[in-house]
Amino acid sequence: MSETGEHATRLLRAYQAQEKRFVERRFPLEFATEVPALRELYSQSKGLHWNPETDIAWDRFDPSRYDKTTRQAASRTWSRRAWSVYPGLTESTALLIRFCLESGSLGMDAKLFLSFRPAEEAKHLEVCHMLAERLGGYEADPGEAGLARISNHPFGQAALDGDLPVEAYIAALGALDDQLDFNLYVCHLQQAKDEVVRAALRLIAGDRARHVAFAWAFLGSRVPTLDAHSRAAVIAAVSDMLGNVILAGYRNAWLLPEKSREPWLAAEAETARHGLGASTPAQERGVLRATITQVRERLAAWKLDLPRVEHAELGTV
Amino acid sequence: MLIDKERAGAYVLEQRYPLPLSSAMPDVWELWRRAKTLEWDPQTDIPWEELHPECYRAEQLLAAQMYWSRRTWGEYGAISESPALLLRFCLERQLPDLQFFFTMRTMEEGRHAEASWLMAERLGRYFPQPQNPPTAGAVGTHGVRRMAFDPETSLEGIFASLVCAAEEILIDVFKATVHKATNPAVRRLMELILRDEVRHIAFGWQCLDAWAPSFTPATVRNIEAAVITMIENVEFRGYRNLWLAIEGGSATPAEIDADRISCEAGLGGNTPEDEMRVFPDFLKKIRTRMAPWGVSIPVFDHPRLGKV
Repeated sequence: MSETGEHATRLLRAYQAQEKRFVERRFPLEFATEVPALRELYSQSKGLHWNPETDIAWDRFDPSRYDKTTRQAASRTWSRRAWSVYPGLTESTALLIRFCLESGSLGMDAKLFLSFRPAEEAKHLEVCHMLAERLGGYEADPGEAGLARISNHPFGQAALDGDLPVEAYIAALGALDDQLDFNLYVCHLQQAKDEVVRAALRLIAGDRARHVAFAWAFLGSRVPTLDAHSRAAVIAAVSDMLGNVILAGYRNAWLLPEKSREPWLAAEAETARHGLGASTPAQERGVLRATITQVRERLAAWKLDLPRVEHAELGTV
Repeated sequence: MLIDKERAGAYVLEQRYPLPLSSAMPDVWELWRRAKTLEWDPQTDIPWEELHPECYRAEQLLAAQMYWSRRTWGEYGAISESPALLLRFCLERQLPDLQFFFTMRTMEEGRHAEASWLMAERLGRYFPQPQNPPTAGAVGTHGVRRMAFDPETSLEGIFASLVCAAEEILIDVFKATVHKATNPAVRRLMELILRDEVRHIAFGWQCLDAWAPSFTPATVRNIEAAVITMIENVEFRGYRNLWLAIEGGSATPAEIDADRISCEAGLGGNTPEDEMRVFPDFLKKIRTRMAPWGVSIPVFDHPRLGKV
């Protein structure tokens, strides 16, 4: 067996072991709406579907307007964005399976919504790939160990970890990380000048807004009923995500370790300068601070206190 | 909480790079492209105003409610179980075409489940479980999730059993009986499901045809075993049609007869005569289709179908 094959076998066995810890009770299988806000988000997913190939005016995209340096920078930025979208395929699929394994006959609103999310992630991935290709070529590999390590977390397995309450998972990945991701897309959209790039960012942001809304609506339906242990798990997971993942540079190149930053930061600066779908570190810093404040305030409404985190460059956030 | 376990090595990290995203299987990529252009919404794309449940007798409505409820349970399996295959594609770093297409398949199956539930509801009532719970074993699961997470079960075997066997017979029966659905809302729903499922089946056959040159004798045995299991332990236990259940299970006579009554009322479903005609043809077809790969599907003995 090849090295890749051996590693895939280890991964499958890890998922297999997790799956076996659950006992699925499928009947009675209820389909009626339980949480109207979640069912509405599912309805919106159906009504607002779009096609990366036909709903973006690619024929109006003229990369030759930009010089080679700019095109290379933008293709690098969009390649990196593709790498950051890709985990959503496994994470949202694993979360769907978790709901099915754990919720028994209930939770159909969330399951239907999540049955759509992997396809939406795939469309975003396709857009990133198409833009990178048109700007000079998609790069399949960061070629830099720091970014490769920091952008790779086993959140798919965490979704199927029965020890981690599903509310904690969704608070960390949905309410915090998806919220930050969405806010960053909105920021990039505000800075973007190229009309095709703007259309791409607007379509992606529209879906991402629903993903974030799902997280908050789900938490709103569950958090008030959680016991002290699960409430503590929610806060621990969000703190962990913030301190050890987000502030380590999972979403923002300027937060990467010093020696890993440069190629990505330079590419983003050039991409932002020409309005091709990025923001400056200063703009992103503002988005990050605003997002943390926003998340902290919303959690506080449920009397969940997100502790402050110390960061060498940002200070206390 | 999240990172502690990662640091402790409790989770296995994926090897993500290089991450190719360009199409390498044009036929499968074309299915992904088509799926994006053919999205539909069960709430708005079916002429529900033409359903007119008041035009049917209580016995017919009850049968149709049972039929569409059981279809809902079956479609739900594609939400609960087969998405595990997408995970497997990602973990095994299969070609991007497979990963992209399967995201749409998961979405489409969710849509089929919702549509089937809506049909039962709008015909008067959705039944959330079989009349006798033990039937749940037959109608509840086809076991694909467990197979997908099992590295000992080959992907080829799963494709052959889930896609080329279970989905193929489902669609063969749909194709053979859609003309009997005289109710416009029911017929439109069947047509829309059929349109999606045709792509799902094409996906399975295209992948297996592409991989066939590299099949080893073990792969062939794996495919044979998986297809036989799907026929004997899933189809012949009444997963799709209770009339086919060899031991009858604990399904009630009303449940077993529901497909026929619903079909005869033009509300979807099929009759035992349809099964007698379609099932042997289906087996002949997949036997012939898989033979060039060296796969041999045996003759099955069924108390009502005979030797098929």
